[in-house]
Amino acid sequence: MKELSFRNDVLPLKDRLYRLAMRITLVREDAEDMVQETLIRVWKTLQDGTQIDNIDAFALTVCRNLCLDLTARREQQNVTFDEELHDRPDATHSPYEDIVRSEQTALLNALLNTLPEKQRTAMQLRDIEGHTYREIAEVMQISESDVKVNIFRARRAIREHLQQRKN
Amino acid sequence: MDYKYIEQLLDRYWECHTTAEEEQILRSFFSQHDLPQHLAQYAPLFDFVREEQQMHVSDDFDSRFGQLLAVEDEQQAMRRTHARRLTLSRRVAPLLKAAAVVAVIFTIGTATERAIVGSHSDDNATQPVLTDTYVRSSEVEAVIQPEHTTDATATIQNTDTLAHAVLPVEPAVENE
Repeated sequence: MKELSFRNDVLPLKDRLYRLAMRITLVREDAEDMVQETLIRVWKTLQDGTQIDNIDAFALTVCRNLCLDLTARREQQNVTFDEELHDRPDATHSPYEDIVRSEQTALLNALLNTLPEKQRTAMQLRDIEGHTYREIAEVMQISESDVKVNIFRARRAIREHLQQRKN
Repeated sequence: MDYKYIEQLLDRYWECHTTAEEEQILRSFFSQHDLPQHLAQYAPLFDFVREEQQMHVSDDFDSRFGQLLAVEDEQQAMRRTHARRLTLSRRVAPLLKAAAVVAVIFTIGTATERAIVGSHSDDNATQPVLTDTYVRSSEVEAVIQPEHTTDATATIQNTDTLAHAVLPVEPAVENE
């Protein structure tokens, strides 16, 4: 069996995990904390000798669950992300952000972040990360048809938004 | 230019019927600058996807993560040290437990033995009482028959008490 290394097999997942964590937590610092935690957990699991067929999918699952736990804790503390979003349409981007967004993509980002978590995550994993429906179903622990329903709804919301802007 | 294929792909994209390759074709198409007006409205979506794909952790992520891992390693090493200390005490604990069990068994054993021995000696202690009773009853008999008193008393004290306990009855019957 191939010897796994943290640097070559686990650490390179950081950006993909970060994008997912960002889509769920919507806060850069939280997202990076969740990525660190995920990387450590995945590495420990591999070191324990647990057989993992798809490290990507496993890491994304761990990351999503950690982010959902964090979001639930934040909600218990009455921190509402909607308020933040309404105050600042591009609230998810900190000064570290090196992507210069156009007004339109910034609005799309804000729109996507107002959708339910399942729709955001499903669309993130499909359109941005290019995962198959089966992989997304595995990560989100739902059926493939549910994955498609969530992506369909997210895309419809974006389509309607773009059509409204044109009119 | 005919955009029918792209329009069909786009329709299928909204319905979630496109393959990953077809979605890649759409992204490539919408990355062009000269788009027809009826399709240009959807370009921001594919621009957004392209931008999102470039998102990455902050530049100092690796150094911060390295520090976190160093702290984790240190804590793990400390946990290991604590574990060793615990192991030493845990090693002694079974011996102490065994010693305690042996002590309890020994104490119970001794107490039981003493209790048994004590009950035996109690049995022995009742016998003389019985003997005394028989002796006393024979003395009473002796008082009833004064002519045999000295002989009977001497005989009773020198022979089996139970046999002599019966013997004094006989003269009483004879007297009747």
